Amino acid sequence: MTRTIIIAGAGGVGKTTLSAALGAAIALGGKRTLVLTIDPAKRLADALGVSELTDTPTEIPTQTYGPHGMWAAMLDASASWEAIIHRYADPEVGARLLANPYFRAIADRFPAAQSYAAGERMAEYIESKQFDVVVVDTPPSGGGIDFFRAPAMANDLISGKLLKWLTGANLPGRGFIYRFTAKPILRIADAVLGGPMLSEVTDFLLDIRTMYDTISVRSRTIEGYLKEATTLVATTADPTPIHETRRFFSELDGIDIDPAAIIFNRKLPESWISQANKPIRGVQDPALRAKAKANLRAWAAEARRQADAADEMSARFHVPLYSVAWTTPTPQSMEELATLITDSGIVADLGL
Amino acid sequence: MLIFVSGKGGTGKSAVAAATAIDFARRGHRVLAIDMASATGLAAHLRVPGLDYEPQEVRPGLFALKMTRSQALDEYLKVQLHVPKSLPTHQITAALSVLADTAPGVREIISIGKPIAESRSGDWEVVVVDSPSLGQFQSYLGAPQAIADLVPTGNMLRLASRMRDILLDEELTRIHLVTAPTELPILETQETIATIARERLAPVPKVIFNRVLEPSGMSRSDLKHLGDGPLREAATLQLDLELEQDAWSKKLAHVIELPYLFGVLTPGEVAEQLADDIGGRV
Repeated sequence: MTRTIIIAGAGGVGKTTLSAALGAAIALGGKRTLVLTIDPAKRLADALGVSELTDTPTEIPTQTYGPHGMWAAMLDASASWEAIIHRYADPEVGARLLANPYFRAIADRFPAAQSYAAGERMAEYIESKQFDVVVVDTPPSGGGIDFFRAPAMANDLISGKLLKWLTGANLPGRGFIYRFTAKPILRIADAVLGGPMLSEVTDFLLDIRTMYDTISVRSRTIEGYLKEATTLVATTADPTPIHETRRFFSELDGIDIDPAAIIFNRKLPESWISQANKPIRGVQDPALRAKAKANLRAWAAEARRQADAADEMSARFHVPLYSVAWTTPTPQSMEELATLITDSGIVADLGL
Repeated sequence: MLIFVSGKGGTGKSAVAAATAIDFARRGHRVLAIDMASATGLAAHLRVPGLDYEPQEVRPGLFALKMTRSQALDEYLKVQLHVPKSLPTHQITAALSVLADTAPGVREIISIGKPIAESRSGDWEVVVVDSPSLGQFQSYLGAPQAIADLVPTGNMLRLASRMRDILLDEELTRIHLVTAPTELPILETQETIATIARERLAPVPKVIFNRVLEPSGMSRSDLKHLGDGPLREAATLQLDLELEQDAWSKKLAHVIELPYLFGVLTPGEVAEQLADDIGGRV
């Protein structure tokens, strides 16, 4: 069975890099590993040694990543939606959907649609049985929480909730809806959207409804994979990520997902804290001694802040916390990144 | 004046937004700060436990509010679309919130409509918006155009083009992008600036560097005199970061540099210190 690992967390904490590094560390342990990234920086593709990542898994062209190799793929939401339509809609409905500007707009630039597409892709890779482990980096939409909510949201959309609001309980036939102008809600919707868009929205909803049974089953399948997956929350000691981590734990709890661990990125050594107040011996030049001491004190204060934040988080959420060291210069190769992850102990503890 | 403060996640944009608002208020302006990012801690930076949709005065001359989508939607229906009060507002709001969840651009235009309306209300000299991070911020700025592409006629289109005019007016609107002087934030900020210019979404953004390290005065050749252990490790970290900072800060023109604040500071202290550093310079 494929093991799935999902990396959630606020923007800017290094989620995409951590996902790739974790994937590399697992691959080195001999597992066939796929990393599904959302929006990788060029540097990540460079670090992986491929010129660019695509929707199709690319084998990372090196012998370094263990006997069974490592693959990486990038989510292309628009292409994924086309694939979903081809797979689940009957051909006539599919053609109409793909030509509908409202559908195109949803697939191309709607963050929640990207989250659903990512979940669908994840499910396909799990079902392909090609990989021992799939590591999923999450889209930033809704602070990352949308990825977990997307199947339920998709289900709401196609269950016809909106359509019922627009038309009332008895679904009229196509075309009939526009004669309902006496209905206040339809007048408002028309004022908000304008007539042509309303008709496209309605066409879209009528078409997508024909896929209800398939998508509804599919949403539940994806939700099942999300619940079975190992979810890791990435953070740093900065106020926003700490705040987001709290929100993650409470919102994930609301949908019955329990994160397995926190990955604390860019951690400074705690040994600096006690050392900062000790007298310095062995530095001859008094000017250099003063500068180096002031510098250590400043960074020790940072280390203290991080240590406090880490203690507070592991006590609050009752999950193990793994620290990934802040190293400079920024690691440029996947091997270096994989070592940082392995050193944190998380790969062994997850049994990978 | 309407100032949108955005930036890559983790660069301290909420702190800079709060500091910008505090700085204007200290200089005697009547200021409204809007938390549009909802997940972030503008309230904490302004030293209040929480914010509501109604503006509250958080210090003399500085008011703050937090956007919630359902209230923004209500207000939008009543004020912008003149929906008569006789209609069942609750039901309509519920239906439209489903619509706003699915129709691209609707949610965004309602959200960005609020700060624009506040800036035109005459109640404030300056409106500072703690905006979502870069990717989402671009889709907010692009919402009026997205609507115009999808809706060829109607109220929404008229509203969208009026919003677009305000967003593009250099006298009225400013975009401040907060970045740290390191690789990924700089690259992402460059891409955002290029997109805003290419798609003509707003005036050219001004860049604010946050978390800029003071040079320590040490050099690489000093490291060998520092023994082994924390003294040398911390010096190595500092010098490596200085090197990275020097290389990357050259790649992006910026209007101001704000310092890296070390150690145990509360969000309120961070905002006050940054406001001292801004001192009228933005």
